[in-house]
Amino acid sequence: MATVEAQAMKKYVAVYVLLLVITALQFLIGYRGAEGERLAVRMLSFAIVETVLVVLFWMNLGSEKKNFIQYVLFTMIFVLATMNYIWTDSFRVLWFRLTGLGPS
Amino acid sequence: MPSKKFAMWLFIMADVMTFAACVAAYAFLRNATPDWPRPFHGVTSVAVMTFIMLTSSLTMLMALTAAKIGDKTKAFNWMMITAAGGILFTLLHIREWMGMINQGVHLFSNPWGPAAFGSSYYVITGFSLMHISVGTIALIIVAIRYRGGRYNADDIELMNLFWQFVGLVWLFIVPVVYLMNLAR
Repeated sequence: MATVEAQAMKKYVAVYVLLLVITALQFLIGYRGAEGERLAVRMLSFAIVETVLVVLFWMNLGSEKKNFIQYVLFTMIFVLATMNYIWTDSFRVLWFRLTGLGPS
Repeated sequence: MPSKKFAMWLFIMADVMTFAACVAAYAFLRNATPDWPRPFHGVTSVAVMTFIMLTSSLTMLMALTAAKIGDKTKAFNWMMITAAGGILFTLLHIREWMGMINQGVHLFSNPWGPAAFGSSYYVITGFSLMHISVGTIALIIVAIRYRGGRYNADDIELMNLFWQFVGLVWLFIVPVVYLMNLAR
């Protein structure tokens, strides 16, 4: 196997081991019984780290042209930020349901 | 960048938006419902499915590496191993669904109350399952055509991009749908 490919393979395996460890940690945290906001923040933090590893090293975005990387990142961050605007409104609905107040 | 690769990235970005919408809708329902069900007593099969998905992502990269150095037989074999992982994952996923259906979880009803639980569960996991099962079929077709000389390493790279993406989506589904809803 060519040296460049052999080095790439080493990198892929290292990322694989890292992803296995992170996923194992997620399962451990899930079983240990953290609740609510703390659990959500931890789980999503781990998922974001996994995303960075996969996108940079397994999808090789890191080796693309700088302009393309910026294009992908800006679009994705915009989309994810917009999605976060939507779900936070659920706190208002939850408050209505718990208090019985709100529009009839 | 080759136009095919750019098109695949655009497709993936569009798919990210769809999955993000699904997860945001799930988060909305989950957070706004005080008595949201927590039906998952054990997630051993989900852990096994995750392991299979991660391992098949690695075997896909091995196929890509072999294709880049022109080792057709090795690349074909690794792709078929990846496809076997996809089939195994799909079967385990269907088994998981059958377990939920046997517990009485349907699209618009379930034994625990909030009707949205079933629909959101089946939509998110079903959308992922659809991607993985269709991806497995595509993987087999690409592998056969690559061996036959119709496709080259660039096409394997496109397949790799798609396969890594569906694996990544699963890594979001596991914590959001399963691990945050373990029975206490």
